[in-house]
Amino acid sequence: MKFSLPIFDVKNLYFIVDNQEILSNVSFEIFAQDYIAIIGPNGGGKTTLIRILLGLEKETKGEVRIFGKRIKDFKEWHKIGYVPQRASHVDASFPATTEDVVKMGRTSKRKLFSKESDEDRIRVEDAMRKMDVYHLKDKMIGTLSGGQRQRVMCARALASRPEILILDEPNTGVDVSSQQRFYELLRELNTKEKITIVFITHDIGVIADDIARLFTINQKAVICNNPKEALSCEEMSELYGIDAHLLHNHKHEH
Amino acid sequence: MLEIFEYEFMQRAFLAGMIIAVLASISGTFIVLRRYSMISETLAHSALVGVAVGLVAGYNPLWMAVIMAVISAWLIEYLRYSFALYSDAVLAIFLSGSLAIAVIIVSLGGAFNNSLFSYLFGSILAVSDEDLITIFTFGIVCLSVLLIFAKEFYFIAYDEEVAKTSGIKVRLLNFLLVSIVAIIIALSIRVVGSLLIGALMVIPTVSALQYRQGFVKTLLISLFFAIFSVASGMTLSFYMSLPSGATIVLSVLVIFIISLVANRR
Repeated sequence: MKFSLPIFDVKNLYFIVDNQEILSNVSFEIFAQDYIAIIGPNGGGKTTLIRILLGLEKETKGEVRIFGKRIKDFKEWHKIGYVPQRASHVDASFPATTEDVVKMGRTSKRKLFSKESDEDRIRVEDAMRKMDVYHLKDKMIGTLSGGQRQRVMCARALASRPEILILDEPNTGVDVSSQQRFYELLRELNTKEKITIVFITHDIGVIADDIARLFTINQKAVICNNPKEALSCEEMSELYGIDAHLLHNHKHEH
Repeated sequence: MLEIFEYEFMQRAFLAGMIIAVLASISGTFIVLRRYSMISETLAHSALVGVAVGLVAGYNPLWMAVIMAVISAWLIEYLRYSFALYSDAVLAIFLSGSLAIAVIIVSLGGAFNNSLFSYLFGSILAVSDEDLITIFTFGIVCLSVLLIFAKEFYFIAYDEEVAKTSGIKVRLLNFLLVSIVAIIIALSIRVVGSLLIGALMVIPTVSALQYRQGFVKTLLISLFFAIFSVASGMTLSFYMSLPSGATIVLSVLVIFIISLVANRR
């Protein structure tokens, strides 16, 4: 696996705002079918990092390659699905059914003047079924629960058939049983659909047994290839501060 | 045939009104969903600068209104992006600034008269054959752009950032949408008037939103409300000799109140 071209290849990345280093000399690779959790204290640069990967922020120094290309030359954005942090919060009166929202995921795939094709319809239905929201397809998005909305946003990202799914704290404001179910679905996407998964989370304890690699970001990055050991590794404790111990204990409670 | 259609000026006004109802409600849906409703008021005032220049310098006021509204729309978007200014503050600056400039131009040019009044509040008597051709031509172009990029505008309205990450050229499309809105507003001031066009863009959509339907149904409800208000407003204007902009806005307000009450939770 690791001999293939990485999906993301980040080398010596810096992100500096007003002389303050938000990210400092961060390097890593993300390969196809990776299943990665990113943790770190608030303000540590997790969201900044994924915003750079998505082309929403520009790095100050360093190199970021996506599928071997520099960000400015990269055009195949449909290969990357993004589920933002605030996805579970939506304006209750926005005129969109679940199906309307999932169809948005096909927008950049469709050519100008083209009508919705059979493939578009199949992909949208398929994405809704995979995220278990097909039965909600005619419901208004504003009437769904936080957990359901989160799965709809995920289905929208899946509709373009991405090779990698990036999620920023997907379970903020979602109850625990919905969270478990959500992670099970993510795991399935990773194992059955071979989709690479990268997500920022605070509730590492819930999923530590599942993830393949753990990135800890607090200005610098520590990449742990064995998450179970990572939660007690000293280097990470140093980066994460006291929270590492809390996380460790939190994990054992589950 | 109804009495009001016996007059040629009414036929022209009705045709122009229907085209504007379609354009205002569709473009209005996108700007309301983007929480950018105030841009319609601001651009209407910018269009007034064009009207003032046209009246004083003897150019076609409608064409000048289109040009001024589009230039303002671009400047507003440029300022928002380049200086990261608050959107509503930029709109407020342009709104009052444009009105001040328009008033100074007409005062200096001695054009403060009935003609200006009709551009402020709309007039069914004012639509000429030339106006109708201009409204129709620009109208077809605007409608085509709105329909071609409807799915992109909708996605951007829902979530600009995710739209951007999926490869949609958000900035370019934002410029395109405000340009189209600027043209539609400029075209509308003949029938609805620059002080009242904002209402025709915003209220049909806000009324339609009360019915809590999906995107296509909301768009169609909004379209129906706009067409109905323009038709009833113009009829009222004809029989009661009132400015058409005011009667149209009053009709759409009644629809809004009914929608609000009927859908109260």
